[in-house]
Amino acid sequence: MNALNHIRQLDYTVIYARDKKGDIQVMLNSCRHRGAEVCRERTGNRKVFTCFYHGWAYSNAGKLISVPDGDSYSSGFDRAEHGLFMPRTETYRGFTYLTYSADAPPLTTFLADARYLIDLVADQSTDGMQIVRGTHNYSMRANWKLLMENSCDGYHGFTVHQTYFEMMMNLGVTPGLVADQGNGNGRELGNGHAVVESPELGMPLMSEDILATTTQRRAETVARLGEAHAKRMLNTTRNLILFPNMALIDLNFGIQVRTMYPTAPDRTEITGWQLMPKDAPDSLKAYRIDNALTFWGPAGLATPDDVEGLEQCQRGFASMREIEWSDISRGMKSEHPTAVEELQMRAFWRQWNECITGEEAVPEGPRYDTTYLNATAPDAVLQATGTGSDS
Amino acid sequence: MTSVLHPSTLTRTDVEDFLYHEAALLDEWRLEEWLDLFTIDCVYEIPAPDRPDDDPAMSFSLIHDHRPMLEQRVIRLTKPTAHAEFPHSRTRHLVTNVRIVGSQDDELKVAANFAVFRMRNGVEVTYVGRYEYVLTASAEGIKIRHRKVILDQEVLDPHGKISIIL
Repeated sequence: MNALNHIRQLDYTVIYARDKKGDIQVMLNSCRHRGAEVCRERTGNRKVFTCFYHGWAYSNAGKLISVPDGDSYSSGFDRAEHGLFMPRTETYRGFTYLTYSADAPPLTTFLADARYLIDLVADQSTDGMQIVRGTHNYSMRANWKLLMENSCDGYHGFTVHQTYFEMMMNLGVTPGLVADQGNGNGRELGNGHAVVESPELGMPLMSEDILATTTQRRAETVARLGEAHAKRMLNTTRNLILFPNMALIDLNFGIQVRTMYPTAPDRTEITGWQLMPKDAPDSLKAYRIDNALTFWGPAGLATPDDVEGLEQCQRGFASMREIEWSDISRGMKSEHPTAVEELQMRAFWRQWNECITGEEAVPEGPRYDTTYLNATAPDAVLQATGTGSDS
Repeated sequence: MTSVLHPSTLTRTDVEDFLYHEAALLDEWRLEEWLDLFTIDCVYEIPAPDRPDDDPAMSFSLIHDHRPMLEQRVIRLTKPTAHAEFPHSRTRHLVTNVRIVGSQDDELKVAANFAVFRMRNGVEVTYVGRYEYVLTASAEGIKIRHRKVILDQEVLDPHGKISIIL
């Protein structure tokens, strides 16, 4: 309780606080008197935010509770109008979304079919999921949209990450052959969200203990949700992009949560967190963390090569007068869009284009297949058929 | 170095010589030789910048390599397909404020400050922080059992690719 985080989003700093009731309160970090930031720690515990400039103090639910020498204000001064600015927020499965737009739709409408993909992560534990301690805050010298593309780009895996796969093989893991397992799917999810999903490519080397734990947890998941659902959840890698600037990547050995914010046309601030089942034993958590940081993050064996690739793209874009377009037409007429094609990027860019120009984004390709939900409990069937927005 | 080398007999000058040698190997990209400085049970660790004191096994560190992964990291960095380091960055490791802060059994604990400059594609980046070493000794000389790199930068901007060895 009374915990706080303050996070920079674009030029804004935003306070995420848990008030004394445990509810999440999201406030702009700017005093309503003269604008100074009222919270200067990045994380901590605080019931009151006091602006050090003139001493105005706010509760951790954003109410103005103290104004030094307040009698000097006229009767027209209403403290209730001077609380911290609270942007509109909604939370879905633990992910809090924030908007400054007055006409944004309800969050579940906005998420459209991406909800199912978030559920596939959130439902991996009956006890909830947790963000691992430790945050990767880093930057790249490239446009933020390139990382949205890259976060769902199945085509780049073996070229960019060849050394990662060689490392896996050196350590005794044989990645599944794509040819044997198929190329997965690329799907639009509505409103610019999209996913690529592929058959599991082989888990990193695990001890017998971890293997036994993983096997047992899978059996419990099958009992709870059914085999088809468990397979989609635990044996399918899913790179989900959530428009405009978030990615949720589940590679089965770890789940990366990523946001990207532009600070300039060719500069992006990136934050990476690792998400995992709260109820996993410590040994499994350590295994997951170990493999996650070996792959992801600014010092991982994979992410630096992604960043290098995107920075090289950005450098190449200097010749945009002569070379006006990036080509993302791969799989354009495909009946079964795969994870190594580019439908998912077109979904993102069409939505972006709609936001910028007003030209309506036209959907492409089949809807995300949720038949795995039908094979399970009656509740789940309701969930699968009762909602869903195709915008 | 003699075969009777024992950590308790090492002076700060010995340790400095060792750390300067290590820095030179890194700046010259002699990574296999650098790897030879480590024990079989070694750890190379860079904690998450916002959690410098956390348990590396249970927090989202930047690097937490045991020997097998450290070997793989070195193998990777010697390949032209390690794109982030092809061509290699130019680096300069400055190691300073070296202190012997403890010794126990066959181990010596050493702290030092560093500045690592990295130049690539016309971009210059400086990493600043401190090293914490656990050193031990063998017939071949001083060995590194634990190498912890604690960055003072909380946000890796513009340090987004730690594809060099810090």
